[in-house]
This record gives sequence, C-alpha cells and structure tokens, in this order.
Amino acid sequence: MLSVELLKHFPGFTLDVCWQAEEGVVALFGPSGAGKTLTLQCLAGLARPDGGQLKVRGRVIYDSIRGVNQAVRDRRLGMVFQGYALFPHMTVRENIAYGLNREARGVREQRTSEMLDRLGLGEVRDLRPAALSGGQQQRVALGRALAVDPDLLLLDEPLAALDSPLRRALREDLRVALRGFGKTAIVVTHDLAEACQLADQIVVYDRGRVLQSGPKEQVLARPVSPAVAGVLGIRNVLNGRVIESTPEFIRLAWRGHELLAANWREAPDRPAPGAGVGFFVRPENIRLMRKDRQGPAGERRTNLVSGTVVGETDLGAVVALHFVAHGEGSPPARGYDLEIEVSKLVYQKLCVDYDRDWTVAIQPSAVQLLPGR
Amino acid sequence: MNPAVTISLQVAGLATLLTVCTGLPLAWLLGRHRFPGRTLLETTLVLPLVLPPTVLGYYLLVLVSRQGPVGALLDSWGIELAFTWKAAVLAAYVGSFGMFTRAAEAGFELVDGRLEQAARTLGRSEWSVFWTVTLPLGWRGVVAGTMLAFCRAVGEFGITLMVAGNIPGRTQTIPLAIYDQVQANRLGAAHQLSLLTMIVVAILLIFVGRLTGSRAPG
Repeated sequence: MLSVELLKHFPGFTLDVCWQAEEGVVALFGPSGAGKTLTLQCLAGLARPDGGQLKVRGRVIYDSIRGVNQAVRDRRLGMVFQGYALFPHMTVRENIAYGLNREARGVREQRTSEMLDRLGLGEVRDLRPAALSGGQQQRVALGRALAVDPDLLLLDEPLAALDSPLRRALREDLRVALRGFGKTAIVVTHDLAEACQLADQIVVYDRGRVLQSGPKEQVLARPVSPAVAGVLGIRNVLNGRVIESTPEFIRLAWRGHELLAANWREAPDRPAPGAGVGFFVRPENIRLMRKDRQGPAGERRTNLVSGTVVGETDLGAVVALHFVAHGEGSPPARGYDLEIEVSKLVYQKLCVDYDRDWTVAIQPSAVQLLPGR
Repeated sequence: MNPAVTISLQVAGLATLLTVCTGLPLAWLLGRHRFPGRTLLETTLVLPLVLPPTVLGYYLLVLVSRQGPVGALLDSWGIELAFTWKAAVLAAYVGSFGMFTRAAEAGFELVDGRLEQAARTLGRSEWSVFWTVTLPLGWRGVVAGTMLAFCRAVGEFGITLMVAGNIPGRTQTIPLAIYDQVQANRLGAAHQLSLLTMIVVAILLIFVGRLTGSRAPG
C-alpha cells in the first residue's frame, strides 16, 4: 500500500498530485515535464517536497505537517535510475552487493549470487558495466535495487536507454521481474505500450497534475476526459467481443464485422471467447482498399470494413479521415468509428474528396487489444 | 647529500600531507555542493596563488611571530614557530593549499551526482558514499592536486624566506640554497640543485597531465 500526496513549487511549474496504489506495478504515464520523475525523486528523498505526505506500507516517510522527512538511506526504497547510474568502477557483482554492506559476509555473498542467477548475470559477474550490453546494464540496475529487498521499487524510464527492438524484447523480461517482486513497483514511462505491458495501474500525469488514476484497463478503455485521451494519444479506441481465442490470433466481433487481432499474450492473460474486450487501431495502420484492384482471385484480405467518410482533418502531409462503418449498432458520440490517416498523395490520387464510400483494411498486427488482466 | 635536499623533501612532504588532509573535505564541499559564500571561499583559495609571496609571508609572520596572536598563544604552550622548520612547513602549506584544492575540486566535479544518489538510496551514509563512490571516481583530481601541491611546496621561496628565514641546515630549502649559491658565485652547485628540481617536477607534471588529460572513469 502506497499513498502519495505531494506539493512542490518551482518557478513556472507546480507539482500537485495525490494518488494511492496497492501491490503491483504502477505506471506513471505522461509527457516529459509532467512531474513523473520529480514524484520519484520526492519518494526516494532525492528532492524535498514543499508539502504533503508519503506513506509506504503504513510507514510515513515524509509528512510536512508532522515534520517527518526520512533520510534517503533510511527509506528502504530501491531505485532504478534513468540511464541506470551503475557504479563504473565496480564489477557487476560489486554493484549488486553494494546495498548489502551491513549484512554478514555470508548472507551478502549468498544474496548476491542468488540475484546474479535470477537475472542471468552469472557469466558477466566480474565485468565492469562499460563492458555490458544495454540489456545487461538494465538487469544489473534492477538487481542492485532488488538486492536490498526494498519496500518500494522505483524505476525511472527503465527501458528508455535501449534501442527500440531491444526495448520491446526486454519489456517482457522486466514485466516478469516486476511480477516476482511482490510489493509495489512504480515505473515512470512516456511509452504507452510500455505502460500497458508492465503495469496493473496507470496514473496519468500532465503538467504537474494527475488526470486519472486507476486500473490499466479502466484508464485505457474509459479515459475520464479528452485531456487523458490526448495524453494517452489514443484515437481509435473501440470495444468488441471475443469470438475465438488461439495462441496465434484473436477473432473479434465489432459492429457486425469480424476482426482478426494478432495475439501476443500467454494463455492465462488471453481473453476468453464471449468476453468483451477493448482494443485500438492507430489511424496510420488503416488502409483504404483501391477499388480498381479489389477482388482479384487469390488475394486474401482480412479485416475488411466497408463504410463512409463523413469528415476529414487536413494535417499537412496527411489527411485524417472520419470513417463510419456500415453494420450493426451506431458510432460513438464523436460521430464516427475510425480515424484513418492517409498521405496527401494517396488522398488526391484516390479522389477521396468526392468519392466517400470505401472499404478499409486493418492489419491484424495493428489491432491492439487493450489488456485483460 | 646536500642538507637542503633533505630539508626540502621533509618540509614539502609534510606540507603536502597537511594540505591533502585539510584540503580534501574542502574540495569535496566545493566540488559537490552549492551553498552561499561559495564564490567568496573560492576567491580566498586563489588569493595565495596570485598574491606576491612576500605579502603572504609578511602577514603570516605577523600572525606567528612571538608578538602575533597565534605566535603568542603557541609561545604560552612553549612552542616556537617563527624561523623554525615548522614555519617552513607552514609556508609551503599556505602556498600549496589552493593548488591542491582547485585540482581536487575539479576531479570531484566530474563525478556524476546520480551515482551518489544511487548509493544513498542503497542505504549508505554520506561518509560511506564519499569513500566508495565520490573518491574512487574523482581520485584523479586528488592525485593530480597532491602532485601539484608537492611541486608548489618544493618550489616555495618567498613565504618561506619571510617566516622561516634562510638558515642552512635548519630552514634552508632547495630554492633558498640555490639563491645563496648564486649569490656566492658557486654556479656549479646551483646548477646541480636546479637540474635535480627541474627533473623531479617535470616527471610529476607528466603524471599530472596523464591523470587530468584522459577522462576515463575508474
């Protein structure tokens, strides 16, 4: 159980947030400069708030009214810094053992070895951080923080220092590691996919305030305000029902159409047939089907939806089309189902300005299920 | 060996030790913290490097002579400072202190503050953070400062002459001995001492250059 109530003033910026979290992974999500990292620093004791109260598992670590302000070293928190801040003059083993200096030597060595094994760092135990890959450095940083068995784990953009393909690959490893931690872990991120995959709870930050805080499904499926939707950057959030669920794909029913979504979820996390499920499609991942080429035999197309363009927004190089699907039910309150981005060139070539009836194709890999549990 | 060489090594060695012990906390303070009066403190440290040594020597003498406030106090304890080897150490110390502090401060400034923060979050005290993170990462500046301080202490002339005098076999260090020998037209002996000093200082400076030239950590 974690309770955060913070007030901190800077010239031109005020952090004024209040949120709670249970055990599990909490993502602080929002644009840069929203105050996410500052919140971590206040929790860790690296920045001093102007007011508020911080409580970790029933222990008050900061309270402006009662004058409590625990020293950093007494807070029993593990922190994974952005860029990791590994000690460059120590080996992997020494880095991980660093916080265990008060333990007896045997205990220290045993816990260090356990952590090295658990994170698969046994082979590089005697190397310095500079000799490690980005992924290994990230695990050392995690191991160093976890070794002291902290009451709360704080991770500041834990994957931001990595290249994008590696980042995606390591997200799953990090998710498993955070699940294994068992207490509250806070991850600061501005990557929605990262927040989705890692977190149970999302706290949406914007300009020093919390716009929404709640279970991830709730925040993603039902943003409380346009501001939240804006921060989340989601434009085509839809709700469907699961028809079929296999390890490879999930078939959905939506507005009388069948949509196929590529699946990336392991069995227990996979939505069951009959369940309602939220999903979203990025506007740039929807394609207009060219009418002159439609229908040749042998061309397999999935996820075809016919409908009408009812409006558009010129975004410069691209045009965002407002598309209403033909089929059961009616579009949401905004008046259309999908926002579709096409390049200006395609827009002109296909004469979309007067030809309004189209069939669109959505790549199964672009249909993103909003996580179940 | 020329007694001046022995005296110089003892005086400069002792002065350097004193400088490192007292300068290290100050260098850490200046290199790792922002506080009111910091600029004033830094200026005070540079002052001995730019003031004429005789001016420093004069004020130091006023302080430590038997009539001076510090000298009188020491005298009451039976300690005589002015015109003894202790005064030579004091002179070398005053001359080299700023030199060491500036270099060590520069070394500490290069240490990534987040590493110290990481150490604190792992339960370490400020004292422990200094010895396990700040110093092991900023040691180049400290060692460079120590060598520079030693060179400066060996080369100290003006302050030494003012407060410790030029007593052969007691307070006469290498620079004073060289001056005496030139005055007495013993140019060969002057050359011997000069060459020796130059070689030692040059070697130390090469080490300093290597330490401060490459910024690789560890």
